[in-house]
Amino acid sequence: MQISRRHFLEITSMLAGSAVAASSMPWISAFSQPETFGKDPSDRVRIGFIGLGTRGQTLLLNMMDFTERLNVEIAALCDIYQPHFERMGKMTGGKVPCFYDYREMLDSVELDGVVIATPLHQHEEPTIHAMEKGVHVFCEKSMARTLDEVKNMYDAHKEHQKILLVGHQRLFSPVYLSALERIRNNEIGPVTMINGNWHRNQSWILYGGLEPGSALDRQLNWRLYREYSAGMITELCSHHLQVANWVLDSTPISVSGSGSINFWKDHREVWDNFSLIFKYPGGIHFKYSCLQSNKHNGMQIEVLGNKGTMDLEVNKQYEEFPPAPPAIRQLIHSIERNIFDTIPIGGATWVPAEPVAQGGRFISDDWEMNETQLFLEAFVDFIRKGEAPQKLTDEGYHASIWALLAEEATYSDQHITIPEPYLLSKS
Amino acid sequence: MSNLYHTSFYAMGTRCNLVIPDFEEELGEQLTGIIKNEIHRIENSLSRFVPYSEISQINKNASQEPVHVSPEVFEILSTCSKYSRITKGAFDITLRPLYKYWEEHPSDPISETQLNHILNEVGMKHLRLNQEDRSVSFDSRSLELDLGGFGKGYALEEIRTILEDFSIKNAFISFGESSILTKGEHPAGDHWKIGINNYVNPGEPVHAFEIRDASVSTSSNFYMSDDGTLVKHRHVINPFTGHPMESCLAVSVCSKAPVFSEILSTALLVAPDETIEALSDRSMPCEIVKVRYDSGEPEISTYIMT
Repeated sequence: MQISRRHFLEITSMLAGSAVAASSMPWISAFSQPETFGKDPSDRVRIGFIGLGTRGQTLLLNMMDFTERLNVEIAALCDIYQPHFERMGKMTGGKVPCFYDYREMLDSVELDGVVIATPLHQHEEPTIHAMEKGVHVFCEKSMARTLDEVKNMYDAHKEHQKILLVGHQRLFSPVYLSALERIRNNEIGPVTMINGNWHRNQSWILYGGLEPGSALDRQLNWRLYREYSAGMITELCSHHLQVANWVLDSTPISVSGSGSINFWKDHREVWDNFSLIFKYPGGIHFKYSCLQSNKHNGMQIEVLGNKGTMDLEVNKQYEEFPPAPPAIRQLIHSIERNIFDTIPIGGATWVPAEPVAQGGRFISDDWEMNETQLFLEAFVDFIRKGEAPQKLTDEGYHASIWALLAEEATYSDQHITIPEPYLLSKS
Repeated sequence: MSNLYHTSFYAMGTRCNLVIPDFEEELGEQLTGIIKNEIHRIENSLSRFVPYSEISQINKNASQEPVHVSPEVFEILSTCSKYSRITKGAFDITLRPLYKYWEEHPSDPISETQLNHILNEVGMKHLRLNQEDRSVSFDSRSLELDLGGFGKGYALEEIRTILEDFSIKNAFISFGESSILTKGEHPAGDHWKIGINNYVNPGEPVHAFEIRDASVSTSSNFYMSDDGTLVKHRHVINPFTGHPMESCLAVSVCSKAPVFSEILSTALLVAPDETIEALSDRSMPCEIVKVRYDSGEPEISTYIMT
């Protein structure tokens, strides 16, 4: 990670000097212009964690990796589930105060920021309470279960002037950042469509052996219950929806779609497959599907322009029309005009300026990076600075709102637009 | 010509162009898909840049234990081995460590001792092919296979089969402009005329091959950019001396078989002239054009094997 991180700093420093940095990726300032800090305890950023399930544990491990380097203290941990509670205590060697109740944690430990990775329907309350206490928030995506909860979180962030970041980690991926810059520089021409999918072949019952529908099943396998989650729409699609918004520098005009349960006909309440079409300004569509019974196509998001394609999840860029060699142009000309002449072609092999593999070239030469950790590092830097770029919060907000509108579309068979109260004022 | 199909895409580290007279767009797109798939399949099997390719697996493991390979890869390596013998060692797919040495020490003073050590450790003599269990092993630790001087010719062979499946009579296929396959004829003539570039005077080809259903492959130790600038790369290493070739040279071979043209042009770039002359009784019919640019004006030698 250290070597990769150094490379990431080179990438962000290069991007920071580009024309699009301020408008499209202002948050890279966390790496190109980080706040300086001392090594004293008084310079320490104190972070608490709420929700230490699978995702929360990943976030904690990632932060534990850089506590020393960035002078961060894991100051408190909270989870209501006994096995998680015990595990987090062990992970931190019993040195960090652990709580079952996040309110108690917020009351008794002085924190600068919290990382929230509770189930979706339990994001709003701790987020708002933390901000009321003057604590900055990094919340896992998607933001919340209902439009009002999402808006309340956003409003609280404005009202209390606290940082609110939503864990769409592609915002910190060297591949996505490099791609964004190239797209803005018209390398693939005008974007005319975005095409994405997240296909898996698994039940999504992360905690097995539980009585279907029992209280514990609902608590742990919350992703399968509509009361707590919109299923793959909020848990998976929101990632790529954020990417589409970011690439198109816009939010959708409307969304339509359809979903069903056609394979996992168990007790689940959320779709095991759905297809969505988001309509954007300029007649551009973002077509997206999720499927839980076939993984052949895996995870993909392709940005299509009339000069090229960005295949973002695999870090590949393809050109529509590789430069036609002069000899081939002459050959075509001669055939079209019925002239039989010599094709001046045989020579040394032509080699492109940048290497190509499997028909495409890499968008970024370093992509096996831990974006989750980079995002958490940025959170710490923004806490030191006292604020984060508003665009970063807005990316999370829009993806969360439109994921919920997409859910509505799959139940209503209608083109859904955003109700006026959820529009952000253009300030 | 109303139905001239042309497409261009990147493959095998260069660009591939298909020009097919009188072929409708819809079929052309289908054909292109099949050809791209086939090229990717070949790359996935033969490229040392693809970590899971058979060649990468051989490079990784064959010095420790025999690596069992597919019939296709075994046959390819046997072909390479055969042509190494025919060209008296000029064609050699094991020289990667030598190339690495020069990449890593481009301007260092040359250590002849180190170079000789590497030279002793590379060479087809260290490659063991066991027909019985179709396995490959190295009896040198540092051997590494690189099929760069073979792959494009092989891909053209496969493309030719695909063109035949589509009943295509006339076609012109180019890989990086250095490996050409033609079928049938130019619509305005009764064959294709393939001009070999003259780097001193780009408008005047040094030679034109007049071919039907044949291939032309050119190897050289310099590159040419699209704007006609000569870029001398010294990227070819002489397997006999271990040093980069200084001479500014290009060799074109025209034959019915793209793999043969590809191998021979690669080999004859570094082979002494005597090797070419001695080839005649072991070669398939072909035409060889060797162009030397050392004195400024191209000096052309032509050999015809019947």
